[in-house]
Amino acid sequence: MPSLIDIRRRVRSVRNTQQITKAMKMISAARLRKAQERALAARPYGAMLRQILANVAEAAGQSPDAGAHPLLAQRPEKKILVVMITADRGLAGGFNANLLKLAQRFVNDHKGADLSFELIGRKGRDYFRKRGARMTGEHLDMMQNLNVAYANKIADSIIERFSAGEVDAVYLFVNEFKSVMAPTLAETRLLPIEVPQSQGAVDYIYEQKPEELLGTLLPRYIRLQIYRALLESVAAEHAARMSAMDAASSNASDVIDKLTLYMNRVRQASITREIIEIVSGAAALG
Amino acid sequence: MADSFQIDIATPEKLILRQAAESAQIPGKDGYMGILPGHAALLSELGEGTLSVTSGGQTKNFTISGGYVEIRDNHVRVLPDSAE
Repeated sequence: MPSLIDIRRRVRSVRNTQQITKAMKMISAARLRKAQERALAARPYGAMLRQILANVAEAAGQSPDAGAHPLLAQRPEKKILVVMITADRGLAGGFNANLLKLAQRFVNDHKGADLSFELIGRKGRDYFRKRGARMTGEHLDMMQNLNVAYANKIADSIIERFSAGEVDAVYLFVNEFKSVMAPTLAETRLLPIEVPQSQGAVDYIYEQKPEELLGTLLPRYIRLQIYRALLESVAAEHAARMSAMDAASSNASDVIDKLTLYMNRVRQASITREIIEIVSGAAALG
Repeated sequence: MADSFQIDIATPEKLILRQAAESAQIPGKDGYMGILPGHAALLSELGEGTLSVTSGGQTKNFTISGGYVEIRDNHVRVLPDSAE
């Protein structure tokens, strides 16, 4: 039978852990709120840009001298770039593991293709480095202060590689923030671009030719998607960590309750034993 | 004809302005454009310069660079790469 002191020690240790998980939960909740605000603030621009792109693409498609833009070029997918956004840290439930599983399945399905990786976030980097994958870029510790300039830099380097024909397709793997409860895994093809559908053509006065506008709009659309994916991932990460830490805290409470109950029982048993010893000792004397 | 129009200014990071206005000066790529209510649908790239929005006798100025402006149904949407 374990001694009372041992059990008490365990209770204390679990309680300490619970304090940490509680604190982490609070921190994640605060960061989640901030991340959600940023994601929300970025939404109007995204919606408007998408609409303009759809309208311009339709207009450019109708004009007679429409050469297909390089970013729309469909090539046989021999060289594929995988862009994956994971978290820099763990302790976020299945946040990283589920995305890695999805990406690994993609890798298994494309054994014949020449795959390279652009990895954002330490967890994804570590995973693919261990497996000896060819990495073209890694971006660590950028989630804490996410900015448009850095997101654009990543986007531009991807665009450049695609335009130069170094890769034939670019796929993006990211956790999207749909609800606080669980992140949604998303696998999307970033390049070649699938132009969003326009809802009825608008007869604009064009200051520049539609084809010219399209040429500058498409790279901006990629930048937008990367930036949006980063914002989503950060929000989803904090949401995932918050619920993981919440679960951990309530598990700790359960463990503490169980241990306390056990501890009382042990104490009770030892008291009973002592009484028996005294009583039987007295009986022997008498 | 309406005597004001709706103007939205949004950068990739956030919405900067969303209000009704009576006139606006927008730095297009090929020169400044003056916008009044009831403007025809227009789409242009933005240049660098000062965007000013006048409403109720008050003028707000923003320094913007790059991006697009779309005008449609008496609604001006300005999407600069950066704005201050």
